Amino acid sequence: MYKIMMFEGGVYKFNELKELIEDIGGFILQESVMQTETMLHMAFPDEEERAIRNKIKDLGGKFTELPLAGTEIMVVSPSLGKHHAVNPMCDVAEYLRRQGAITIVMGLARGVGKRIAQITVEEKSIIEESDAAVFVFGEFKDCISVKAKLCEQLNVPYLMVGGPPDLELPHYTGGIGRRTDRLRRAEDIECLERMTTELDKELNEKRQAVDEDPLAVNPLFVKEMIEMIVPAKAGEELPITVQLDGLRISINEEDLTRIQDVEIGTRKLSEIAEIRKSLFKGYLVKIRPESEVGSIF
Amino acid sequence: MEIKVEGGDAFANAAYETICKDTFRDLGIRSSIDNAYLFLHPEEHVFIISITIGRVASPIRVGDVASFDKKTLRIGDEKYAPKLLSLLWDKFGERAQQLSRLMIELNLEDEELAPLKEMVIYDPREDLIARILDAIDRILPEGARVRYPIPADHAVTIIASEDPISEEWKQRAKELVGHTVS
Repeated sequence: MYKIMMFEGGVYKFNELKELIEDIGGFILQESVMQTETMLHMAFPDEEERAIRNKIKDLGGKFTELPLAGTEIMVVSPSLGKHHAVNPMCDVAEYLRRQGAITIVMGLARGVGKRIAQITVEEKSIIEESDAAVFVFGEFKDCISVKAKLCEQLNVPYLMVGGPPDLELPHYTGGIGRRTDRLRRAEDIECLERMTTELDKELNEKRQAVDEDPLAVNPLFVKEMIEMIVPAKAGEELPITVQLDGLRISINEEDLTRIQDVEIGTRKLSEIAEIRKSLFKGYLVKIRPESEVGSIF
Repeated sequence: MEIKVEGGDAFANAAYETICKDTFRDLGIRSSIDNAYLFLHPEEHVFIISITIGRVASPIRVGDVASFDKKTLRIGDEKYAPKLLSLLWDKFGERAQQLSRLMIELNLEDEELAPLKEMVIYDPREDLIARILDAIDRILPEGARVRYPIPADHAVTIIASEDPISEEWKQRAKELVGHTVS
């Protein structure tokens, strides 16, 4: 199993850290160098943590665990109007990003109200493309209880956040309702932390399912192989997003055959994964389990 | 300004009181409102808001936001700079030149300078109703799109719901608002 952590520090001997990660069979998920500050999301085998920690001790810097790393999370709000955006929808998304997740913000077409609230089939399919969903609701218990029924249809782990702290509903965390300012106070951060912990619990179910029936190949490895064949275009950010059971790749249609033919071990990517067009961005690569495709090395 | 929120549970009432306060502050209409009353009924999804308009701030004049130094005008409050500039260009055309961010040179006769100080840049009365209606729109839940206004002197009252508004609610709103505002 891979462990995903974040390093924040200076540029001094930064390359040595990157080389070490490659040497021990790890991957660099995200890297940004801003003048003298660097930030690196890395994945490495569990047993090599000591080696990385020793190296970071030499370099100096912060080394933090990312509980939601390697996941793509959809932050869904009843609409993209001023009642929900930018607060608290963007605060929730930003906090999840800081915990390592890649977030996508989505507004429903007819998600507002109580009786009239609905999720269309297409919206449901878009939400189910990601690993988990976080619904950002308002202050009324009645409305949240009604909308909870809409969320039940989903086939991915989800969490609802809303204002009332004392609402007894499954998949619900309180304290983050309608806001007119940023969630920046200590009690707000506490609520966001609680939300992350709850979401992590929800995601654990999916992680367990992947562990019990392991994938033919780790998505991180596939990402590395794809990047070698189809390098990211200049200025393009996050062309490949890692999910728990696959990847989302932003490519044009003409590059599709190149992606399908990427060699992973002894097989082609199209043989060990289902590649389909995403309903809103790029292509989805869902890797099949090893039990289905057999060993690829 | 007094804000009263009733009808919902304690948490919702407190939350909506904060939303009202913040919205009025954001739109700069706090000092122009005497009373704000909000009635929440989430079970039937009916919301009533009533705002009593109070004293409106006096118009902003050139002399309030800028100081004169012979024929140069120095802007003190930059918030009004675009409105001041457009006023001067409308009135004097190329005779008003912006030298730097806060300095304006005026090629005017002495007799033209004196009345300039009294010219109105912005009158808050102009767009007060628009701003109050914007505040109401921001405060009321987004799903409550069916609106019914109740006319009154110096007050804006609106019933909002996602369903057609019944006569019963119209009557009840009049009673509730009559009680607390007026």
